[in-house]
Amino acid sequence: MENFGFAFTAGWQVVLIGVLLGAGLPAVFAVGIRSLAYAGGGSATTSDPGGSEGPAAARPLGTVLAGVCFLVVVVGIVLGLTFILASGFGKELDFGSGIPTLTDKS
Amino acid sequence: MSESLVILLLVVAVALAFDFTNGFHDTGNAMATSISTGALAPRTAVMLSAVLNLVGAFLSIEVALTVTNAVVEIQDSSGAPRSEYLTDGGSPLLLIVLAGLVGGIAWNLLTWLLGLPSSSSHALFGGLIGAAIAGLGWGGVNWLGNGKELDGVLGKVVLPALMSPVIAALVAALGTWMIYRITRGVAERFTERGFRWGQITTASLVSLAHGTNDAQKTMGVITLALLASGHWSDTASVPFWVKACCAIAIAAGTWLGGWRIIRTLGKGLVEIESPQGLAAESSSAAIILASSHLGMALSTTHVATGSILGTGLGRPGAQVRWRVAGRMLVAWVVTLPAAAAVGAATWYLADLLGGGLGAVAVTLLLVLAAAGMWWRAHHEPVGAHNVNDDWHEPSRPVPAAA
Repeated sequence: MENFGFAFTAGWQVVLIGVLLGAGLPAVFAVGIRSLAYAGGGSATTSDPGGSEGPAAARPLGTVLAGVCFLVVVVGIVLGLTFILASGFGKELDFGSGIPTLTDKS
Repeated sequence: MSESLVILLLVVAVALAFDFTNGFHDTGNAMATSISTGALAPRTAVMLSAVLNLVGAFLSIEVALTVTNAVVEIQDSSGAPRSEYLTDGGSPLLLIVLAGLVGGIAWNLLTWLLGLPSSSSHALFGGLIGAAIAGLGWGGVNWLGNGKELDGVLGKVVLPALMSPVIAALVAALGTWMIYRITRGVAERFTERGFRWGQITTASLVSLAHGTNDAQKTMGVITLALLASGHWSDTASVPFWVKACCAIAIAAGTWLGGWRIIRTLGKGLVEIESPQGLAAESSSAAIILASSHLGMALSTTHVATGSILGTGLGRPGAQVRWRVAGRMLVAWVVTLPAAAAVGAATWYLADLLGGGLGAVAVTLLLVLAAAGMWWRAHHEPVGAHNVNDDWHEPSRPVPAAA
Protein backbone atom coordinates (compact mmCIF):
# COMPACT_ATOMS: atom_id res chain seq x y z
CA MET A 1 0.00 0.00 0.00
CA GLU A 2 3.04 2.22 -0.44
CA ASN A 3 1.18 3.71 -3.38
CA PHE A 4 -0.98 5.83 -1.09
CA GLY A 5 2.10 7.41 0.45
CA PHE A 6 3.64 8.17 -2.95
CA ALA A 7 0.36 9.55 -4.22
CA PHE A 8 0.10 11.84 -1.22
CA THR A 9 3.68 13.09 -1.59
CA ALA A 10 3.28 13.80 -5.30
CA GLY A 11 -0.26 15.10 -4.78
CA TRP A 12 0.47 17.94 -2.42
CA GLN A 13 3.38 19.09 -4.58
CA VAL A 14 1.08 19.15 -7.59
CA VAL A 15 -1.38 21.22 -5.57
CA LEU A 16 1.39 23.61 -4.58
CA ILE A 17 2.73 24.09 -8.11
CA GLY A 18 -0.83 24.22 -9.41
CA VAL A 19 -1.80 27.03 -7.06
CA LEU A 20 1.42 28.95 -7.69
CA LEU A 21 1.55 28.67 -11.47
CA GLY A 22 -1.94 27.52 -12.48
CA ALA A 23 -3.83 30.05 -10.39
CA GLY A 24 -1.09 32.52 -9.43
CA LEU A 25 0.08 33.39 -12.94
CA PRO A 26 -3.43 34.09 -14.25
CA ALA A 27 -3.94 36.32 -11.23
CA VAL A 28 -0.74 38.21 -12.04
CA PHE A 29 -1.97 38.46 -15.61
CA ALA A 30 -5.23 39.90 -14.32
CA VAL A 31 -3.31 42.45 -12.27
CA GLY A 32 -1.47 43.35 -15.47
CA ILE A 33 -4.72 43.94 -17.30
CA ARG A 34 -6.06 46.01 -14.46
CA SER A 35 -2.85 48.08 -14.46
CA LEU A 36 -3.17 48.63 -18.17
CA ALA A 37 -6.71 49.90 -17.66
CA TYR A 38 -5.48 52.09 -14.83
CA ALA A 39 -2.75 53.46 -17.09
CA GLY A 40 -5.38 54.39 -19.65
CA GLY A 41 -7.05 56.37 -16.89
CA GLY A 42 -10.60 57.60 -16.53
CA SER A 43 -13.26 55.68 -18.33
CA ALA A 44 -11.25 52.44 -18.44
CA THR A 45 -12.32 51.47 -14.97
CA THR A 46 -15.85 51.95 -13.73
CA SER A 47 -14.53 52.03 -10.19
CA ASP A 48 -12.88 55.35 -10.98
CA PRO A 49 -14.26 57.86 -8.48
CA GLY A 50 -16.37 60.61 -9.87
CA GLY A 51 -17.02 58.73 -13.13
CA SER A 52 -14.61 61.01 -14.95
CA GLU A 53 -15.65 62.29 -18.34
CA GLY A 54 -13.53 61.97 -21.42
CA PRO A 55 -9.92 60.84 -21.60
CA ALA A 56 -8.14 61.43 -18.34
CA ALA A 57 -4.41 61.91 -18.05
CA ALA A 58 -2.35 58.76 -18.72
CA ARG A 59 -0.72 57.21 -15.71
CA PRO A 60 2.78 55.90 -16.48
CA LEU A 61 2.90 53.90 -13.22
CA GLY A 62 0.15 51.68 -14.54
CA THR A 63 2.06 50.96 -17.73
CA VAL A 64 5.18 50.02 -15.78
CA LEU A 65 3.26 47.77 -13.41
CA ALA A 66 1.49 46.10 -16.36
CA GLY A 67 4.87 45.53 -18.00
CA VAL A 68 6.24 43.84 -14.88
CA CYS A 69 3.16 41.61 -14.58
CA PHE A 70 3.23 40.52 -18.20
CA LEU A 71 6.95 39.84 -17.94
CA VAL A 72 6.37 37.52 -14.96
CA VAL A 73 3.68 35.69 -16.95
CA VAL A 74 5.93 35.34 -20.01
CA VAL A 75 8.73 33.91 -17.84
CA GLY A 76 6.24 31.39 -16.44
CA ILE A 77 5.14 30.34 -19.93
CA VAL A 78 8.74 30.03 -21.15
CA LEU A 79 9.49 27.84 -18.13
CA GLY A 80 6.56 25.60 -19.00
CA LEU A 81 7.62 25.44 -22.63
CA THR A 82 11.21 24.60 -21.64
CA PHE A 83 9.86 21.82 -19.48
CA ILE A 84 7.91 20.26 -22.36
CA LEU A 85 10.84 20.56 -24.76
CA ALA A 86 13.39 19.34 -22.22
CA SER A 87 11.49 16.20 -21.28
CA GLY A 88 11.18 15.38 -24.96
CA PHE A 89 14.94 15.51 -25.32
CA GLY A 90 15.63 13.40 -22.23
CA LYS A 91 16.54 16.36 -20.02
CA GLU A 92 14.75 17.72 -17.02
CA LEU A 93 14.45 21.03 -15.25
CA ASP A 94 16.18 21.06 -11.89
CA PHE A 95 15.08 23.68 -9.37
CA GLY A 96 17.52 22.47 -6.70
CA SER A 97 19.81 25.47 -6.92
CA GLY A 98 16.99 27.97 -6.93
CA ILE A 99 17.59 28.83 -10.57
CA PRO A 100 16.04 26.39 -13.04
CA THR A 101 18.78 24.53 -14.86
CA LEU A 102 18.68 21.73 -17.41
CA THR A 103 20.16 18.40 -16.36
CA ASP A 104 20.12 14.91 -17.83
CA LYS A 105 17.20 12.81 -16.75
CA SER A 106 18.13 10.45 -13.94
CA MET B 1 3.22 -14.02 -45.61
CA SER B 2 3.53 -15.73 -42.27
CA GLU B 3 0.79 -15.71 -39.68
CA SER B 4 2.74 -13.61 -37.19
CA LEU B 5 3.47 -11.00 -39.86
CA VAL B 6 -0.26 -10.68 -40.56
CA ILE B 7 -0.93 -10.15 -36.86
CA LEU B 8 1.91 -7.64 -36.62
CA LEU B 9 0.55 -5.58 -39.52
CA LEU B 10 -2.89 -5.59 -37.92
CA VAL B 11 -1.42 -4.50 -34.57
CA VAL B 12 0.37 -1.58 -36.23
CA ALA B 13 -2.75 -0.51 -38.14
CA VAL B 14 -5.03 -0.81 -35.11
CA ALA B 15 -2.51 1.00 -32.89
CA LEU B 16 -2.44 3.92 -35.33
CA ALA B 17 -6.23 3.88 -35.36
CA PHE B 18 -6.18 4.11 -31.58
CA ASP B 19 -3.77 7.05 -31.81
CA PHE B 20 -6.20 8.71 -34.23
CA THR B 21 -9.14 8.28 -31.83
CA ASN B 22 -6.88 9.56 -29.05
CA GLY B 23 -6.43 12.72 -31.10
CA PHE B 24 -10.07 13.61 -31.67
CA HIS B 25 -11.13 12.41 -28.25
CA ASP B 26 -8.80 14.90 -26.61
CA THR B 27 -9.05 17.98 -28.85
CA GLY B 28 -11.60 19.39 -26.46
CA ASN B 29 -9.23 19.20 -23.50
CA ALA B 30 -7.18 22.02 -24.90
CA MET B 31 -9.53 23.82 -27.25
CA ALA B 32 -13.10 23.54 -25.91
CA THR B 33 -12.74 26.71 -23.83
CA SER B 34 -11.25 28.83 -26.63
CA ILE B 35 -13.93 27.62 -29.03
CA SER B 36 -16.88 28.27 -26.75
CA THR B 37 -15.70 31.75 -25.73
CA GLY B 38 -15.05 32.65 -29.35
CA ALA B 39 -11.36 33.37 -28.75
CA LEU B 40 -10.70 31.18 -31.78
CA ALA B 41 -12.96 30.12 -34.63
CA PRO B 42 -13.70 26.39 -34.27
CA ARG B 43 -11.77 25.36 -37.39
CA THR B 44 -8.79 27.54 -36.50
CA ALA B 45 -8.70 26.10 -33.00
CA VAL B 46 -8.56 22.46 -34.04
CA MET B 47 -6.02 23.27 -36.74
CA LEU B 48 -3.75 25.00 -34.21
CA SER B 49 -4.15 22.13 -31.79
CA ALA B 50 -3.37 19.59 -34.52
CA VAL B 51 -0.17 21.36 -35.54
CA LEU B 52 0.97 21.59 -31.91
CA ASN B 53 0.18 17.91 -31.33
CA LEU B 54 2.24 17.06 -34.41
CA VAL B 55 5.16 19.15 -33.20
CA GLY B 56 4.81 17.76 -29.68
CA ALA B 57 4.82 14.17 -30.90
CA PHE B 58 7.98 14.72 -32.94
CA LEU B 59 9.61 16.29 -29.90
CA SER B 60 9.36 13.03 -28.00
CA ILE B 61 12.97 12.18 -28.69
CA GLU B 62 13.24 9.95 -25.66
CA VAL B 63 10.29 7.58 -25.71
CA ALA B 64 9.60 5.20 -22.86
CA LEU B 65 9.16 1.71 -24.29
CA THR B 66 7.83 0.44 -21.00
CA VAL B 67 4.36 1.94 -21.40
CA THR B 68 2.49 -1.33 -20.83
CA ASN B 69 4.47 -2.10 -17.67
CA ALA B 70 2.29 0.26 -15.69
CA VAL B 71 -0.60 -2.17 -15.85
CA VAL B 72 0.33 -5.54 -17.37
CA GLU B 73 3.23 -7.96 -17.21
CA ILE B 74 4.25 -8.60 -20.81
CA GLN B 75 7.57 -6.73 -20.83
CA ASP B 76 10.53 -6.73 -18.48
CA SER B 77 11.82 -3.53 -16.92
CA SER B 78 14.19 -2.80 -19.83
CA GLY B 79 11.27 -2.75 -22.24
CA ALA B 80 12.09 -6.09 -23.85
CA PRO B 81 9.10 -8.39 -24.31
CA ARG B 82 9.04 -11.36 -21.93
CA SER B 83 10.50 -14.39 -23.63
CA GLU B 84 7.69 -16.75 -22.61
CA TYR B 85 5.28 -14.94 -24.96
CA LEU B 86 7.57 -14.98 -27.97
CA THR B 87 6.71 -18.37 -29.43
CA ASP B 88 5.33 -18.43 -33.00
CA GLY B 89 6.99 -15.17 -33.93
CA GLY B 90 5.61 -13.37 -30.89
CA SER B 91 1.98 -14.19 -31.69
CA PRO B 92 0.83 -14.66 -28.04
CA LEU B 93 2.03 -11.20 -27.09
CA LEU B 94 0.79 -9.61 -30.31
CA LEU B 95 -2.69 -11.01 -29.76
CA ILE B 96 -2.86 -9.54 -26.25
CA VAL B 97 -1.77 -6.13 -27.53
CA LEU B 98 -4.22 -6.28 -30.44
CA ALA B 99 -7.13 -7.23 -28.18
CA GLY B 100 -6.19 -4.47 -25.76
CA LEU B 101 -6.13 -1.88 -28.54
CA VAL B 102 -9.51 -3.05 -29.84
CA GLY B 103 -10.96 -2.60 -26.35
CA GLY B 104 -9.50 0.90 -26.11
CA ILE B 105 -10.78 2.02 -29.51
CA ALA B 106 -14.26 0.58 -28.97
CA TRP B 107 -14.68 2.51 -25.73
CA ASN B 108 -13.19 5.71 -27.18
CA LEU B 109 -15.67 5.61 -30.07
CA LEU B 110 -18.67 4.90 -27.88
CA THR B 111 -17.89 7.73 -25.46
CA TRP B 112 -17.28 10.04 -28.42
CA LEU B 113 -20.69 9.12 -29.84
CA LEU B 114 -22.24 10.01 -26.49
CA GLY B 115 -20.19 13.21 -26.30
CA LEU B 116 -18.48 12.16 -23.10
CA PRO B 117 -14.89 13.17 -22.42
CA SER B 118 -13.37 9.99 -21.00
CA SER B 119 -9.70 9.24 -20.64
CA SER B 120 -8.00 7.70 -23.69
CA SER B 121 -5.18 6.36 -21.56
CA HIS B 122 -7.66 4.63 -19.27
CA ALA B 123 -9.32 3.11 -22.32
CA LEU B 124 -5.96 1.79 -23.57
CA PHE B 125 -4.92 0.53 -20.15
CA GLY B 126 -8.36 -1.02 -19.58
CA GLY B 127 -8.20 -2.86 -22.89
CA LEU B 128 -4.72 -4.18 -22.10
CA ILE B 129 -5.74 -5.26 -18.60
CA GLY B 130 -8.74 -7.15 -19.96
CA ALA B 131 -6.71 -8.84 -22.67
CA ALA B 132 -4.00 -9.75 -20.15
CA ILE B 133 -6.50 -11.24 -17.72
CA ALA B 134 -8.03 -13.27 -20.54
CA GLY B 135 -4.71 -14.37 -22.00
CA LEU B 136 -2.50 -14.72 -18.94
CA GLY B 137 -4.82 -14.89 -15.95
CA TRP B 138 -5.10 -12.48 -13.01
CA GLY B 139 -1.37 -12.70 -12.42
CA GLY B 140 -0.75 -11.07 -15.81
CA VAL B 141 -1.85 -7.73 -14.41
CA ASN B 142 0.38 -5.41 -12.40
CA TRP B 143 -2.22 -4.48 -9.78
CA LEU B 144 -0.20 -2.84 -7.06
CA GLY B 145 3.18 -2.06 -8.59
CA ASN B 146 6.65 -2.61 -7.21
CA GLY B 147 6.29 -0.65 -3.98
CA LYS B 148 9.10 1.73 -4.94
CA GLU B 149 7.11 4.36 -6.79
CA LEU B 150 3.59 5.14 -7.92
CA ASP B 151 2.98 2.07 -10.05
CA GLY B 152 0.51 -0.60 -11.06
CA VAL B 153 -3.19 -0.25 -11.71
CA LEU B 154 -3.64 1.35 -8.30
CA GLY B 155 -0.75 3.81 -8.50
CA LYS B 156 -0.80 4.70 -12.20
CA VAL B 157 -4.52 4.61 -12.87
CA VAL B 158 -6.85 4.59 -9.88
CA LEU B 159 -5.19 7.04 -7.50
CA PRO B 160 -4.29 9.71 -10.10
CA ALA B 161 -7.82 9.46 -11.50
CA LEU B 162 -9.25 10.18 -8.07
CA MET B 163 -6.87 13.01 -7.30
CA SER B 164 -6.20 14.92 -10.51
CA PRO B 165 -9.73 16.18 -11.28
CA VAL B 166 -10.16 17.39 -7.70
CA ILE B 167 -6.82 19.21 -7.68
CA ALA B 168 -7.57 20.71 -11.10
CA ALA B 169 -11.00 21.89 -9.98
CA LEU B 170 -9.55 23.53 -6.86
CA VAL B 171 -6.80 25.34 -8.73
CA ALA B 172 -9.11 26.51 -11.51
CA ALA B 173 -11.75 27.66 -9.03
CA LEU B 174 -9.15 29.66 -7.12
CA GLY B 175 -7.74 31.14 -10.33
CA THR B 176 -11.17 32.08 -11.63
CA TRP B 177 -12.19 33.67 -8.38
CA MET B 178 -9.02 35.77 -8.22
CA ILE B 179 -9.26 36.88 -11.85
CA TYR B 180 -12.85 38.07 -11.44
CA ARG B 181 -11.99 39.74 -8.14
CA ILE B 182 -8.98 41.54 -9.59
CA THR B 183 -10.54 42.72 -12.82
CA ARG B 184 -13.86 43.78 -11.33
CA GLY B 185 -14.90 47.06 -12.87
CA VAL B 186 -12.26 47.05 -15.60
CA ALA B 187 -13.61 48.10 -18.98
CA GLU B 188 -14.34 45.29 -21.36
CA ARG B 189 -12.01 46.52 -24.09
CA PHE B 190 -9.08 45.70 -21.80
CA THR B 191 -10.32 42.39 -20.43
CA GLU B 192 -11.61 40.91 -23.68
CA ARG B 193 -8.44 41.22 -25.71
CA GLY B 194 -6.15 40.33 -22.82
CA PHE B 195 -7.98 37.19 -21.81
CA ARG B 196 -8.38 36.16 -25.40
CA TRP B 197 -4.62 35.99 -25.89
CA GLY B 198 -4.17 34.42 -22.47
CA GLN B 199 -6.54 31.64 -23.43
CA ILE B 200 -4.94 30.94 -26.78
CA THR B 201 -1.48 30.78 -25.25
CA THR B 202 -2.41 28.43 -22.40
CA ALA B 203 -4.52 26.22 -24.67
CA SER B 204 -1.52 25.93 -26.98
CA LEU B 205 0.66 24.79 -24.09
CA VAL B 206 -1.87 22.10 -23.22
CA SER B 207 -1.95 20.93 -26.87
CA LEU B 208 1.81 20.70 -27.06
CA ALA B 209 2.04 18.79 -23.79
CA HIS B 210 -0.67 16.45 -25.06
CA GLY B 211 1.33 15.70 -28.20
CA THR B 212 4.46 14.81 -26.25
CA ASN B 213 2.59 12.71 -23.69
CA ASP B 214 -0.04 10.80 -25.59
CA ALA B 215 1.55 10.00 -28.94
CA GLN B 216 4.36 8.32 -26.98
CA LYS B 217 2.01 5.67 -25.70
CA THR B 218 1.21 4.42 -29.18
CA MET B 219 4.86 4.67 -30.21
CA GLY B 220 5.72 2.44 -27.25
CA VAL B 221 3.02 -0.09 -28.10
CA ILE B 222 3.99 -0.37 -31.78
CA THR B 223 7.66 -0.70 -30.93
CA LEU B 224 6.82 -3.42 -28.40
CA ALA B 225 5.02 -5.32 -31.16
CA LEU B 226 8.06 -4.93 -33.45
CA LEU B 227 10.34 -6.17 -30.68
CA ALA B 228 8.10 -9.16 -29.99
CA SER B 229 8.03 -10.20 -33.64
CA GLY B 230 11.76 -9.71 -34.05
CA HIS B 231 11.55 -6.75 -36.46
CA TRP B 232 13.35 -4.41 -34.10
CA SER B 233 15.90 -5.10 -31.42
CA ASP B 234 16.82 -1.82 -29.79
CA THR B 235 14.97 -1.25 -26.49
CA ALA B 236 16.39 2.26 -26.21
CA SER B 237 14.83 3.87 -29.27
CA VAL B 238 11.84 3.93 -31.58
CA PRO B 239 12.07 3.48 -35.36
CA PHE B 240 11.64 6.81 -37.10
CA TRP B 241 8.73 5.64 -39.24
CA VAL B 242 6.85 4.65 -36.07
CA LYS B 243 7.38 8.09 -34.62
CA ALA B 244 6.32 9.80 -37.85
CA CYS B 245 3.21 7.65 -38.29
CA CYS B 246 2.10 8.16 -34.68
CA ALA B 247 2.67 11.90 -34.88
CA ILE B 248 0.62 12.14 -38.07
CA ALA B 249 -2.14 9.88 -36.73
CA ILE B 250 -2.68 11.88 -33.53
CA ALA B 251 -2.51 15.19 -35.41
CA ALA B 252 -4.99 13.99 -38.03
CA GLY B 253 -7.33 12.86 -35.26
CA THR B 254 -7.03 16.22 -33.53
CA TRP B 255 -7.68 18.02 -36.80
CA LEU B 256 -10.91 16.02 -37.28
CA GLY B 257 -12.14 17.80 -34.19
CA GLY B 258 -14.13 15.51 -31.95
CA TRP B 259 -16.87 18.15 -31.93
CA ARG B 260 -19.27 16.18 -29.77
CA ILE B 261 -16.82 16.20 -26.88
CA ILE B 262 -15.76 19.80 -27.46
CA ARG B 263 -19.40 20.79 -27.23
CA THR B 264 -19.93 18.97 -23.93
CA LEU B 265 -16.80 20.49 -22.40
CA GLY B 266 -17.25 24.00 -23.73
CA LYS B 267 -21.01 24.43 -23.54
CA GLY B 268 -22.52 21.55 -21.60
CA LEU B 269 -20.65 21.45 -18.33
CA VAL B 270 -20.33 25.18 -17.68
CA GLU B 271 -21.12 28.27 -19.75
CA ILE B 272 -17.63 29.67 -20.09
CA GLU B 273 -16.48 33.29 -20.39
CA SER B 274 -12.97 34.17 -21.47
CA PRO B 275 -11.50 34.79 -17.99
CA GLN B 276 -12.74 31.33 -17.04
CA GLY B 277 -11.18 29.87 -20.18
CA LEU B 278 -7.84 31.35 -19.19
CA ALA B 279 -8.13 30.05 -15.63
CA ALA B 280 -9.11 26.56 -16.83
CA GLU B 281 -6.27 26.18 -19.33
CA SER B 282 -3.65 27.64 -16.97
CA SER B 283 -4.71 25.22 -14.30
CA SER B 284 -4.63 22.31 -16.76
CA ALA B 285 -1.22 23.27 -18.14
CA ALA B 286 0.34 23.72 -14.69
CA ILE B 287 -1.06 20.47 -13.33
CA ILE B 288 -0.19 18.39 -16.40
CA LEU B 289 3.39 19.64 -16.37
CA ALA B 290 3.79 19.38 -12.60
CA SER B 291 2.44 15.85 -12.36
CA SER B 292 4.48 14.53 -15.26
CA HIS B 293 7.52 16.10 -13.58
CA LEU B 294 6.69 14.30 -10.32
CA GLY B 295 6.00 10.95 -11.95
CA MET B 296 2.26 11.01 -11.44
CA ALA B 297 0.69 9.39 -14.49
CA LEU B 298 -1.90 11.80 -15.73
CA SER B 299 -4.97 11.79 -17.82
CA THR B 300 -5.22 15.06 -19.73
CA THR B 301 -8.96 14.51 -19.90
CA HIS B 302 -9.46 14.27 -16.16
CA VAL B 303 -7.37 17.36 -15.54
CA ALA B 304 -9.07 19.43 -18.25
CA THR B 305 -12.56 18.42 -17.16
CA GLY B 306 -11.75 19.11 -13.52
CA SER B 307 -10.42 22.54 -14.46
CA ILE B 308 -13.48 23.50 -16.47
CA LEU B 309 -15.74 22.38 -13.64
CA GLY B 310 -13.61 24.42 -11.25
CA THR B 311 -14.10 27.61 -13.26
CA GLY B 312 -17.83 27.10 -12.84
CA LEU B 313 -17.39 26.89 -9.08
CA GLY B 314 -15.05 29.87 -8.89
CA ARG B 315 -17.08 32.45 -10.81
CA PRO B 316 -19.76 34.05 -8.73
CA GLY B 317 -23.11 33.33 -10.29
CA ALA B 318 -21.86 30.71 -12.75
CA GLN B 319 -23.83 27.52 -13.12
CA VAL B 320 -22.39 24.03 -13.24
CA ARG B 321 -24.64 21.47 -14.92
CA TRP B 322 -24.26 18.69 -12.41
CA ARG B 323 -26.27 16.26 -14.54
CA VAL B 324 -23.61 16.54 -17.22
CA ALA B 325 -20.85 16.27 -14.61
CA GLY B 326 -22.55 13.18 -13.22
CA ARG B 327 -22.70 11.52 -16.62
CA MET B 328 -19.00 12.19 -17.09
CA LEU B 329 -18.20 10.74 -13.71
CA VAL B 330 -20.07 7.57 -14.55
CA ALA B 331 -18.16 7.35 -17.84
CA TRP B 332 -14.84 7.75 -16.01
CA VAL B 333 -15.61 5.00 -13.53
CA VAL B 334 -16.87 2.67 -16.25
CA THR B 335 -14.05 3.36 -18.74
CA LEU B 336 -11.49 0.94 -17.36
CA PRO B 337 -13.77 -2.06 -16.68
CA ALA B 338 -15.71 -1.55 -19.92
CA ALA B 339 -12.59 -1.36 -22.08
CA ALA B 340 -11.25 -4.34 -20.13
CA ALA B 341 -14.40 -6.34 -20.88
CA VAL B 342 -14.11 -5.60 -24.61
CA GLY B 343 -10.39 -6.38 -24.51
CA ALA B 344 -11.00 -9.71 -22.79
CA ALA B 345 -13.87 -10.70 -25.10
CA THR B 346 -11.75 -9.78 -28.11
CA TRP B 347 -8.87 -11.92 -26.89
CA TYR B 348 -11.13 -14.95 -26.28
CA LEU B 349 -12.65 -14.62 -29.73
CA ALA B 350 -9.27 -14.24 -31.42
CA ASP B 351 -7.89 -17.16 -29.43
CA LEU B 352 -10.87 -19.34 -30.28
CA LEU B 353 -10.44 -18.77 -34.01
CA GLY B 354 -6.70 -19.04 -33.60
CA GLY B 355 -3.75 -16.80 -34.50
CA GLY B 356 -3.95 -15.08 -37.86
CA LEU B 357 -7.59 -15.84 -38.57
CA GLY B 358 -8.61 -14.63 -35.11
CA ALA B 359 -6.67 -11.39 -35.52
CA VAL B 360 -8.25 -10.69 -38.90
CA ALA B 361 -11.71 -11.48 -37.53
CA VAL B 362 -11.50 -9.15 -34.51
CA THR B 363 -10.07 -6.36 -36.64
CA LEU B 364 -12.98 -6.72 -39.07
CA LEU B 365 -15.42 -6.65 -36.16
CA LEU B 366 -13.79 -3.46 -34.92
CA VAL B 367 -14.09 -1.86 -38.35
CA LEU B 368 -17.78 -2.83 -38.47
CA ALA B 369 -18.42 -1.43 -35.00
CA ALA B 370 -16.60 1.79 -35.87
CA ALA B 371 -18.55 2.17 -39.10
CA GLY B 372 -21.79 1.57 -37.18
CA MET B 373 -21.02 4.27 -34.64
CA TRP B 374 -19.88 6.66 -37.36
CA TRP B 375 -23.14 6.10 -39.19
CA ARG B 376 -25.11 6.61 -35.97
CA ALA B 377 -23.25 9.85 -35.31
CA HIS B 378 -24.32 11.22 -38.67
CA HIS B 379 -27.96 11.15 -37.61
CA GLU B 380 -27.23 13.94 -35.18
CA PRO B 381 -24.11 15.57 -36.51
CA VAL B 382 -22.11 17.96 -34.40
CA GLY B 383 -19.51 20.01 -36.19
CA ALA B 384 -17.89 23.40 -36.42
CA HIS B 385 -21.26 24.83 -37.50
CA ASN B 386 -23.23 23.99 -34.37
CA VAL B 387 -20.66 23.25 -31.70
CA ASN B 388 -21.54 26.44 -29.83
CA ASP B 389 -25.33 26.23 -30.09
CA ASP B 390 -27.31 26.69 -26.89
CA TRP B 391 -27.25 23.71 -24.59
CA HIS B 392 -30.56 22.20 -23.59
CA GLU B 393 -30.95 19.93 -20.60
CA PRO B 394 -32.37 17.43 -20.08
CA SER B 395 -32.51 16.59 -23.76
CA ARG B 396 -30.17 14.01 -25.12
CA PRO B 397 -26.46 14.82 -24.83
CA VAL B 398 -26.31 16.02 -28.39
CA PRO B 399 -29.24 18.01 -29.76
CA ALA B 400 -30.20 17.50 -33.36
CA ALA B 401 -28.67 19.91 -35.82
CA ALA B 402 -30.93 22.41 -37.45
